[in-house]
Amino acid sequence: MVLIPAYNESATLGAIVEQVRALSDHPVAVIDDCSTDSTAAVARAAGAIVLPLSLQLGAWGAIQTGLRFALREGCRMAVTLDADGQHEPEYMQDLLKPILADEADVVIGAYPERASPARRLAWRYFRVLTGFGLEDITSGFRAYNHAAMSILASPEASLLDYQDVGVLLILRRRGLRILEVPVPMRPRTQGISRIFNSWWKVSGYMAQTSLLCVARVGRGRRPSPTGRR
Amino acid sequence: MLTYQITSTVLGIALAVVILWLVRRDHLHGPYAMWWVGAALAVAVLGSFPRVFDVLAGYLGVSYPPILALILAFALLMIKILTMDLERSRQERHIRRLAQRLAMLEARHPPACDGRPAPDPRGEADPDEIG
Repeated sequence: MVLIPAYNESATLGAIVEQVRALSDHPVAVIDDCSTDSTAAVARAAGAIVLPLSLQLGAWGAIQTGLRFALREGCRMAVTLDADGQHEPEYMQDLLKPILADEADVVIGAYPERASPARRLAWRYFRVLTGFGLEDITSGFRAYNHAAMSILASPEASLLDYQDVGVLLILRRRGLRILEVPVPMRPRTQGISRIFNSWWKVSGYMAQTSLLCVARVGRGRRPSPTGRR
Repeated sequence: MLTYQITSTVLGIALAVVILWLVRRDHLHGPYAMWWVGAALAVAVLGSFPRVFDVLAGYLGVSYPPILALILAFALLMIKILTMDLERSRQERHIRRLAQRLAMLEARHPPACDGRPAPDPRGEADPDEIG
């Protein structure tokens, strides 16, 4: 199932849903995070299943809703992409390939070149803090297999606010294999980043994520053989 | 002229009565009620017998007894506030899970992934939308 969290993205969402549907016959679910515009109607018109959140849960809350829904529908894999048009659906197959070949449990579509120097510094800081060898930890273009979906749908992951470091830490603790695949991305055509648009939010994000890293330090750093599938 | 003893007795008993009344009216329930009844009893006893602090302070080596009351009060408040935040986190998790489940129930579905159509959870409640 293809999951698209959307908040006030009516301008770009319709084209993306149609593109995804043209590329594959996977069902598309749009999780509407309390949008105030016509996001839900646009998504439905384009042929997506719409999950309307009654409270605003943020990007990760929306994705988790989609993961729970996909599991309930019996899906074995899920791909998430952003509704703002940055991620090109043509590269979904590149993300799914390692999962279909059972080489990874989670595949992140990375585009490190897009980052500003400040964001790159933040990534490097988190790489040091967490010990991840990943380039683009904030990318929302990801593919999950059934094991990863089940772990991330659990209440354990419900109190996360951001979908990057906290999610990856949970996955690593369970010994899942995370792989990064470079993909090209388009510049953002509409709207702005939900996190990287004000210094106040950036510092809140940095502090909260650092705390998460420090609190989880050493937990599951070595891959546990039992967790691997 | 009121003495220190009378003032603290009146304040302690009044606070205890207010708390017990709130518990009785079901404004405070479950574990919160237990906590507050304990607080009410402590306030009533310590208000009626403020000398307890002088004795305790002597044992604990606190030279100015009223400070002991303040320190204990702060420590207990810290614990109470911490348990409140734990409870709030638990409730936040429940609220998020519920909002997600509601979104899943309200989903407009065409096909399910494995080809088998999922049962419409809304049942007959909304016939126009189901069509």
